[in-house]
Amino acid sequence: MTGLDRDTLLRFLEERLGLDPAEIDDETPLFSSGLVDSVALAELVVYVENESGVSFEPEDITLEHLDTVGRILRFVATRHGR
Amino acid sequence: MGKAESTEGILVLGPPRSGTTLLRRLLDAHPRIACPPETNVFAACGRFLRSEKTADGVGIGVLEGLEYAGFSREDVLSRLRELAFSFHREYASRQGKARWAAKTAFDAFYLPEIEALCGDRCAYVCLERHGLDVACSIQELCEKNGAYLRELHDYVVRYPAVLEAFAHAWADLARGIRAFAASHPEHSFLLRYEDLVAEPDATMQKLMGFLGESWDPEFTSKALSSRETVGLGDWKTYGRSSIDASSVGRWKKLPRYTLARLAEICNPVLELCGYEPVRVEPEEPPEAARRRYQVGLLLQRLKGAGRKDREPGPEPAPEE
Repeated sequence: MTGLDRDTLLRFLEERLGLDPAEIDDETPLFSSGLVDSVALAELVVYVENESGVSFEPEDITLEHLDTVGRILRFVATRHGR
Repeated sequence: MGKAESTEGILVLGPPRSGTTLLRRLLDAHPRIACPPETNVFAACGRFLRSEKTADGVGIGVLEGLEYAGFSREDVLSRLRELAFSFHREYASRQGKARWAAKTAFDAFYLPEIEALCGDRCAYVCLERHGLDVACSIQELCEKNGAYLRELHDYVVRYPAVLEAFAHAWADLARGIRAFAASHPEHSFLLRYEDLVAEPDATMQKLMGFLGESWDPEFTSKALSSRETVGLGDWKTYGRSSIDASSVGRWKKLPRYTLARLAEICNPVLELCGYEPVRVEPEEPPEAARRRYQVGLLLQRLKGAGRKDREPGPEPAPEE
């Protein structure tokens, strides 16, 4: 497991989802703004699971956990801390 | 004077959704060039001239039929050419402009017929755009229209996965346009959509140099603000007040499996046209696709939770 950090996540957003990392900070809404659609978000979730070893349970699939880079990283950190 | 500078007409040839309407509006903003909305004249001429062959190789079409009636091929082409050119000539004259240009997005499906009809009598602006962006944009067009236009029927029948169908259509057209330009080197100008949206004025200056005209950045502003020549063509370009590159690279959001399929179809032609081939990720285990599907279903619950609802797939582009 490689773990997941901000740079890795931003690289994925850029290379795989075509987003400009210069326009994204930790609190930029991804899904609620329409920047990322549901197909891309599904891909992002699976990528995060593979990179971090953290699994999203059905109740974890929420905007609170997924809508920004910061929220995703905090969710993963919280799960790793368990 | 170069050969392209002395031609009567200018034809825009590009796959549908490759920026032909944007280019049409830019050309029409030039004080010496009149380029109306899509007239469909040359595509219609193409259909008129299209011929089939029997198993014995006997041509069945209007040129062959009229030949039996005593009308030579050149006679028929000459009359049809005069008809096609005359509409555009008259349109340009009404606009008080010296030259005419024509663009209909589906003209590129009739390259052999356009070759026979126009040959070296026209200058050709051959538009190229990344094939995967074209495929995504054609899919969006068909969804918007609620129909597949006639020229796409064969592809959709042969390839039920529509993005693959449109990728095949793009590959055929892009290859054909390249060959067409190579056979008319002094009359053809290859222009990339990606260059046009990244540097509209510099790209138009190069094009105008080829056509023996000048380009002023004011013409770009005029093209985008003009409301005088609405008509058939891409609807989205009319909603734009500036040219940007936001529609470039939308294909990168396609699912990995789809990308691998499209890469197989498009990569040889992408390389032919000077684009980077699409990198194909290693095949993933089936459980990854299943997991994405599962997560996708769970994500449906988020719809309406304060997000702008947006369908999966390509984003709206400023132009074809």
